Amino acid sequence: MATTTGHAPAPSHGQDTHGKKHGLNAELVGMLLFIGSEVMLFASLFTAYFFIRYGVSNEVWPPLKQDGEPFELPVMLTGINTLILVGSSFTLWWGERCLKAGDRKGLIRGLWVTILMGGTFLIIQFNEYAHLGFTPQDRAFSGAFYTLTGFHGAHVAVGLIILSMCLRRAYKNDFTATQHTPLAAGSYYWHFVDIVWVLLFLLVYVI
Amino acid sequence: MSFWWRRAIVSAVVGVLFAFLLVFMLRAIFGLDPLWQGNVVATVAGLFGGLGFLYGIGCFDYWLTWAKGRPVSSEDHSFHGVSNWKQYFRINTDHKVIGIQYMAMTLFFMVCGGIMALLIRTELAAPGQQIVDGQAYNGLLSMHATLMIFVFAVPVFGGIANYVLPIMLGAKDMAFPRLNALSFWFLPVSGFLFLASTFTGMFGAAWTAYPPLASQGTAGQTLFELGVQFAGASSIATAINFLATIITMRAPGMTIWRMPILAWATGVTSVLVVFATPFIAGSQFLTMFDRVMGTHFFVPDQGGDVIMYQHIFWFYSHPAVYIMLLPGFGIISEVIATFARKPLFGYRAMAFSMVAIGVLGFGVWAHHMFVSGMAAWLRVPMMITTIIIAVPTGVKMWSWLATLWRGKIHMKAPMLWAMGFLFTFLIGGLSGVFNGIVPADIQLSDTYFITAHLHYVLYGGSVYTIFAGIYYWFPKATGKMLNERLSQWHFWLTFIGTQITFMPMHWQGLQGMPRRVADYDPRFAMINGIETIGSYMLGIATIIFFYNVVISLRKGDPAPWNPWRGRTLEWMVSSPPPLFNFDVIPQVVGGPYQYGIPDARHAVVFAPEQFGGELTEDTRYPVLVVANDTLTSQGLIDEIRSRNADGLWSFEFLVPVGDDDRAVAERRLATTLAILAGFGIAATGRVADGEVITVAGDEGKSRQPYEILVATLPTASSAWMRQDAVDRIRKRSGIATSHIVVRGDDARALTAASALPLTMIVATDAVGADALAAVVMARFDAQPARFTIICPLDLPQPRWGSESSEIRRQAGERMTATINALVSVGVQVQGEVMDDGPADALPLAIDAFTPTQILVAGVNGEAAALAGAANAAAGETPVEIVNLGAPAGSE
Ligand code: HEM
Ligand SMILES: [Cu+2]
Repeated sequence: MATTTGHAPAPSHGQDTHGKKHGLNAELVGMLLFIGSEVMLFASLFTAYFFIRYGVSNEVWPPLKQDGEPFELPVMLTGINTLILVGSSFTLWWGERCLKAGDRKGLIRGLWVTILMGGTFLIIQFNEYAHLGFTPQDRAFSGAFYTLTGFHGAHVAVGLIILSMCLRRAYKNDFTATQHTPLAAGSYYWHFVDIVWVLLFLLVYVI
Repeated sequence: MSFWWRRAIVSAVVGVLFAFLLVFMLRAIFGLDPLWQGNVVATVAGLFGGLGFLYGIGCFDYWLTWAKGRPVSSEDHSFHGVSNWKQYFRINTDHKVIGIQYMAMTLFFMVCGGIMALLIRTELAAPGQQIVDGQAYNGLLSMHATLMIFVFAVPVFGGIANYVLPIMLGAKDMAFPRLNALSFWFLPVSGFLFLASTFTGMFGAAWTAYPPLASQGTAGQTLFELGVQFAGASSIATAINFLATIITMRAPGMTIWRMPILAWATGVTSVLVVFATPFIAGSQFLTMFDRVMGTHFFVPDQGGDVIMYQHIFWFYSHPAVYIMLLPGFGIISEVIATFARKPLFGYRAMAFSMVAIGVLGFGVWAHHMFVSGMAAWLRVPMMITTIIIAVPTGVKMWSWLATLWRGKIHMKAPMLWAMGFLFTFLIGGLSGVFNGIVPADIQLSDTYFITAHLHYVLYGGSVYTIFAGIYYWFPKATGKMLNERLSQWHFWLTFIGTQITFMPMHWQGLQGMPRRVADYDPRFAMINGIETIGSYMLGIATIIFFYNVVISLRKGDPAPWNPWRGRTLEWMVSSPPPLFNFDVIPQVVGGPYQYGIPDARHAVVFAPEQFGGELTEDTRYPVLVVANDTLTSQGLIDEIRSRNADGLWSFEFLVPVGDDDRAVAERRLATTLAILAGFGIAATGRVADGEVITVAGDEGKSRQPYEILVATLPTASSAWMRQDAVDRIRKRSGIATSHIVVRGDDARALTAASALPLTMIVATDAVGADALAAVVMARFDAQPARFTIICPLDLPQPRWGSESSEIRRQAGERMTATINALVSVGVQVQGEVMDDGPADALPLAIDAFTPTQILVAGVNGEAAALAGAANAAAGETPVEIVNLGAPAGSE
């Protein structure tokens, strides 16, 4: 039924590039889109938060708990925690820079520091939960608070898992100065998690 | 059962058991009472069961291996392609297999949802209770809508786009084949969770699941919320994949303005999915937390807000409407351009209007909430944006119509669905404008008018377009043609069924019948009964479709590479395409819709390197050319040459003679075929006795050519057109028929651009003799050729004298007589009377005409004298002499 110029089509074979274009890295494009989607997830939760915050008519802000006391958030402690998390973005960036300069040891050091700082953040956050004095069931506000911070905490945890996998790969010498897409994708994600936290801190704790 | 399914079921069960254990343990530790809480168990068990299934079926194997630090190869193709049908039931990373899996899965859910719809309609067939009570009715209604929206209309585009998009872009696969597999397998989990709710008490808060209604109810409602999450994850993963594919994997030369509109549609849809779907995820998380964790998002006296749910929900669900429609718009654009055989009208306007719809789609969500009690100031802005969004939609509508305008329309099954779409979607779009206008909507909200609107939009925009796509690409995907007759039955039953079922709902709604009710006022009895009958027609139509698929798969005609003569890349590979689509990445060289533009090409597909050259299909489709008077005309020959440049057709001539002379027709046909052969065009033909309409109509019907071309003289002077031949042939044969008009002088003139050999006839006194005409005719019958008759006159001096003029005039008359005699019997001939004697005239004439042969014809011995001059002037050209005997008119 069909011929090539004179021959039947030969059984095809996988080709290494799959036709991917060089220059634009599909994995990083994918990660950026995924982050876009995550941003919208947080946007939906923030929407809920603001509806609850401004829907409560003739009430003071922060609203009152079941027992009549106002909700109180530890702004100072969380501020320090925020600095830790933001700092971890810079240590990660520094680690990547080392790798690009060919310094694998530097990358491993950077990853370790980042992971430890992220872990510290989570521990402080859990500690905060334990001492807040209200639960998600208290009022709509507390539900929104726990949902936002909880979702963020889960994202930090996922980020930590990704970074530890990268660390393991770094030990196995899988990353080179030019070939380190998983690491780059992981670091995009980590920066996103940090930026969301800064927003969250400003919108929920500070104002 | 295969290894993978055993593993999947085992790990799903393990996941569920683990969830039970986890919930009981945690509840025991925190001292919660009672230990068994249906909602909580359902959530956790659904989640872990689902993830367990995905793990077991193999979705995560590759990544887990990577995470464990073991070596993996991104070029691992062990799960790529299928060798038998059973492998469609396991994980696969080939986009073509996933596309088919997607289609089968979503159509399965469409059937489930359709059965629910038929049950709904049966219940509504008459007032009072027929088969279910109110509670069960709510369950049926919710299940119907949920299945149709979340696991049919939203994901189904993933099936078609998965199959064709990478091929259209000239890629070997999607950007992330393993993510692609995961997106697919999310779907059965989601659908299973919805369906499983039948056993936990069906969810009854409809597909919109508004709290506080959704905060009550059985554990089925929790399963709904979880199912939506899985479906959403599936959408997002596919969308990211499509976008990454479009952005990074286009073949060289495939600029964004050369992408088929389907690629644009998929891209815009994917952007909507990526940025809107998280909102429904958010809304379902919140209702789930209210149900499972005891938060108070939607409890007003605890500071919660129910309107907030609607805002978040519709911020997804309005864009979701476009997620369901835009891919359909893309499919329709492909189909209409191909079957109207015209470049898509306003390609860029089509692309931009889709982008505009995508952007505006984020700004209209609250038009679903005009009567909800939301902030009143939002109403008017939302009304305005809603009306504005009708503009880009109108641009698309007009562009499709303009593409059809004066196209050569082929009413094959895909095109029928496209036409059905235009009609149905137009009605849905117009009723949408009513819904978008606040004062009207306050009346229409929550009535059957809404039900009518939404089914017109979704049936037209989703079901019809998806079927257009299925009929269009089925031959490509399966290598089999669908049975055309059954396809037509399927379409017409569906089309009429849709109108009967949903058209009366407009009236019913205007009269005030509320939607989502199991019982109604008896005055609506009649109209509901009619609608129920219409819905059964839809059921029967669907059965015909599946029957058609089954028998066509088993014994349908094999599909050629390009059954519809499309121009996009998927038609330039075999049906079905090879494992990695292209051996060598193709080179794109032009736009995708240049139908009817001679020599335009979209892309070059290369053969494997070891062979070199291009990959082409050499199946040619017959085009039936019906002509008689216009045979050999330059107009007809040019038309056929330009069509032949497509490389897709073979030409079959049919010459109906009616009362005319058959021998003449034969001669003209022979000339035409010879001329075409000279251009390397393979054509055949036959002369048929009988009238044009019967002969051509019947030949079209029995031969089933791709198209019929009828060539005639201008309508005023054509006997065929006086009988309205073109339209009547189209009717009688059922084949697309087009009309070529040839000017009268063109029809009789010598075909200028022609490779036929030219014979020069040199004659003086013989011109005008019957014998000369007879000789030429005999020569012509032996071998088609063109003839030029040269009559060199040895005029007496002075040449301007009256004697010379008289000789010249007589020679001219004789020449005209001979030429007319020859042309009227179909010989290609022209002639010239020259003012010089043979010795002076012939060198000039030979130089001007460069004949391949010279024939000297003389009467009464003058031939010898002429031959002397001819031989002297001829050079290499062979000269032949015929003696004709007595001179003309000397009796
Ligand atoms: C055999 C074809 C179908 C029939 C007979 C049918 C019938 C119905 C009826 C009667 C209702 C309204 C029930 C009520 O308000 O009490 C309904 C609701 C609905 N249908 Fe269909 N339907 C069909 C196909 C579809 C398709 C193909 C889709 C989507 C792709 C769809 C989406 C919906 C949705 C979303 C609702 C819910 C409307 C609401 O929220 O009130 N239906 N269907
Ligand atoms: Cu809408």
